[in-house]
Amino acid sequence: MEGMTYLAVAYFGMIIAVGLWTYTVVQRSRHLSERIGALEAAVKAASREVAED
Amino acid sequence: MKMKVGEVLLLFGFTGVATTMMLAFLWAPSVSINAFEEPAAQRIFYWHVPSAWAAFIAFGALFVGSAGWMFKRSELMWRIHIAGSEAGLATGLMTVWSGCVWGAAEWGTPWDWSDVRLNTFGLLTLLAIYLVLGRSSQPDGVETRDTFAAFGLYGFILVPFTYVATRIWSIRHPGPVIGTNDGGSLNADMGLILLIGTLSFTLLIFGHMLTSMRITAFEQRIEALQIQLDGGK
Repeated sequence: MEGMTYLAVAYFGMIIAVGLWTYTVVQRSRHLSERIGALEAAVKAASREVAED
Repeated sequence: MKMKVGEVLLLFGFTGVATTMMLAFLWAPSVSINAFEEPAAQRIFYWHVPSAWAAFIAFGALFVGSAGWMFKRSELMWRIHIAGSEAGLATGLMTVWSGCVWGAAEWGTPWDWSDVRLNTFGLLTLLAIYLVLGRSSQPDGVETRDTFAAFGLYGFILVPFTYVATRIWSIRHPGPVIGTNDGGSLNADMGLILLIGTLSFTLLIFGHMLTSMRITAFEQRIEALQIQLDGGK
């Protein structure tokens, strides 16, 4: 039974680590996607200002 | 928010990996107590083998990306190089960690320095650590990319070397259990869980590599937009 307990802890640790890694990667991808949207809007606004001047 | 292909693969892959773990723990048949010192620890095999398979896929991608960058100077290939090195690091650590857990239980030591497969796989994982940490600490440029791509190219030789290591040198790491001339030593239930695990890890690693490539593309786009916003300097 002791062996199964160690195994359960090892499995649990590994699945949590993979879950965290996956979550971090997806969040980073979404965060960067939003940042690109904001930057593109800023670039458009800046070029409009230049055109108006 | 609409999910991208990489995210869908990650979702299915992660669900499959979790299912594999549950099956390995609750459904997989026990092995003979005469064949192993710690029969319970053998269940780590359903994590260890698929993660090693995923690591070989990732190192394959690293090789393709490195070669593509070296010979074609392609941005897409550079993204594949980055995705391969990051995925190789993660899956390499998963394989090494699960192997150490099993080794500690079965052999009484987590690592055997005299075993060829352990050491060549350890070197591959170290290579991935070097590539990931090196890239994050160096300014991006052609010279930097060439250096890392050269390591990715030459490091790949460790992959076939690691694969055949237990066939040539039977030291401590167990030999192959599938793809052997005697039909292998797995029964049908064990083979099914291993298959589910292998497919799940394959989906997970492709999902990670696609998402990683997307992140690199975003980083490059942000850098270009920032330059544009700063007046093209």
